[in-house]
Amino acid sequence: MKIKIALAQINPLLGDIEKNREKHLEFIEKAIENNAQIIVFPELSITGYRLKDFTMEVALPADSNFFNPILKQSKKIDIAFGFVERGKDKNIYNSAMYVENQSIKSVYRKIYLPTHGMFQELRFMGRGEKVTTFKTRYGNFSMLICRDLFHPSLLFLTYAQKTDVVLGMSSMPLRGVTGEKPAIQETVEKAIDTYTNFFSQFIVFVNRVGFEDGLGFYGGSFVGTPLGKKLAFAGILQEKLTFATIDLEEIYKKRQLFPLAREEDLNIVQNNLSRILEENYGKF
Amino acid sequence: MENFRLNYELVKKFIIEFIKEEVHSNGFNRCVLGLSGGLDSVLVAYLSKEALGKENVKAIIMPYKTSNPASKEDALATVTHLGILHETIDITKISDAYLKREKEMTNIRMGNFLARVRMSILFDKSREFKALVMGTSNKSELILGYSTWHGDMAASLYPIGDLYKTQIFEFAQFMQIPEKIIAKKPSADLWPGQTDEKELGAKYIQIDSILTFYVDQRKTIDEIIAMGYSQKIVENVLNRIKKNQFKKTLPPVAKFSPRTFGLDFLYPHDLGK
Repeated sequence: MKIKIALAQINPLLGDIEKNREKHLEFIEKAIENNAQIIVFPELSITGYRLKDFTMEVALPADSNFFNPILKQSKKIDIAFGFVERGKDKNIYNSAMYVENQSIKSVYRKIYLPTHGMFQELRFMGRGEKVTTFKTRYGNFSMLICRDLFHPSLLFLTYAQKTDVVLGMSSMPLRGVTGEKPAIQETVEKAIDTYTNFFSQFIVFVNRVGFEDGLGFYGGSFVGTPLGKKLAFAGILQEKLTFATIDLEEIYKKRQLFPLAREEDLNIVQNNLSRILEENYGKF
Repeated sequence: MENFRLNYELVKKFIIEFIKEEVHSNGFNRCVLGLSGGLDSVLVAYLSKEALGKENVKAIIMPYKTSNPASKEDALATVTHLGILHETIDITKISDAYLKREKEMTNIRMGNFLARVRMSILFDKSREFKALVMGTSNKSELILGYSTWHGDMAASLYPIGDLYKTQIFEFAQFMQIPEKIIAKKPSADLWPGQTDEKELGAKYIQIDSILTFYVDQRKTIDEIIAMGYSQKIVENVLNRIKKNQFKKTLPPVAKFSPRTFGLDFLYPHDLGK
């Protein structure tokens, strides 16, 4: 199956959810005009990233009416976006939502919230626990958020659940300016190259741009494919809407050329993991 | 010595986007900056012009009677070369009105006072010109706290605040700033003959290497000394960080309410921007 995916590399306003929703609708409109079937926004695209104490003030339940205008557009295009979620469990999460045909298909809560150096996420938000795969009319999808992408274990979990396309939604600040590309961009591209090669999946990486309190999010969105191609590269530091047409047939071809999936044995993984957990009392 | 080289094309692009976005998102189109004719302020003038356009950048040149006349010439040459707006305001009279009545004026007191007079003028001019005040502090200076609190440190943004002085020299070459300005001995020019390196007791290449090891690479003082740096220089440099930390944070509030400014009332700077 061929799918046209739109990558919305936007610059959300910090804490202004109305204006950001407007921007989502504009980008969605453009994606529809270009016959895209899915549009993907970055992490926390509705709220902005470095919210600190403002996190609580922009938190919304996933089923809030606020999202209705976006849901309405999902008749014409599938939409994945990021928001601060007010959970039914009365906790706050850094979440991503996938909507299709006017209904919520999946809500994913970021698992690994960086809290060191310039990052303060666990101070303001709770941690998700579940990596899921959900069926869309286009194939099996998973969402992961930013730092999650640096944990191969989570990518493995999507692979183990037969995910075809991982949506990697990010707010990654630029750092490392000695090389040709920002060092963080090199790191992300290497990681995605590795995952797409060994897990034979597609990864749609959408990173935001813009500045918040001195952090400059670098953008650099692209789609990595199982055969090692990079599609729809959006460039750095500028808002952009790019399009990639991917062919899920590529997964089948890759898995015949390099049949790692056929070799994989989840029992071996589980048995070893159980033993390791027991030996380490459940701690890493 | 540490290798400081960066991808200056990328640095330039990043800083220009930063200036554009911060100025515009704060509801401004323009900036003012105090242009001494020294390398840091000249570099910020170059970057501001590229980010905002020459008609939106105003340099304020504020010499005092003891200022090195060459500084003013370099400042004027920069303004002419870039085609940006400028105003020269001699601060001798306004400063001397106060300084003359003070019997035991020291260099430090005078230097700080002149820096704060310039700050007052700059902020007033920013209101007149409907502009933000561009900071010209670099990373070496900010980490060491080697500047006047509420003086030259007062600004709306620090576009070059993550570049060590050693990187500023290299970046300035990339930006094609005249060699004459790059080659000058770094100085706050607060009193005749003052230079940074004399006052700090070491060359910038040494200072910046020590700062990189300690701040960026988290080496210990002993590890740095073991690399061949003199204990006296290392301690002198690193002691300044702690001694001047007060300049780099908000003053402590006596906390007793549930949410307190600076402690647990943590709205970001760029909210709504």
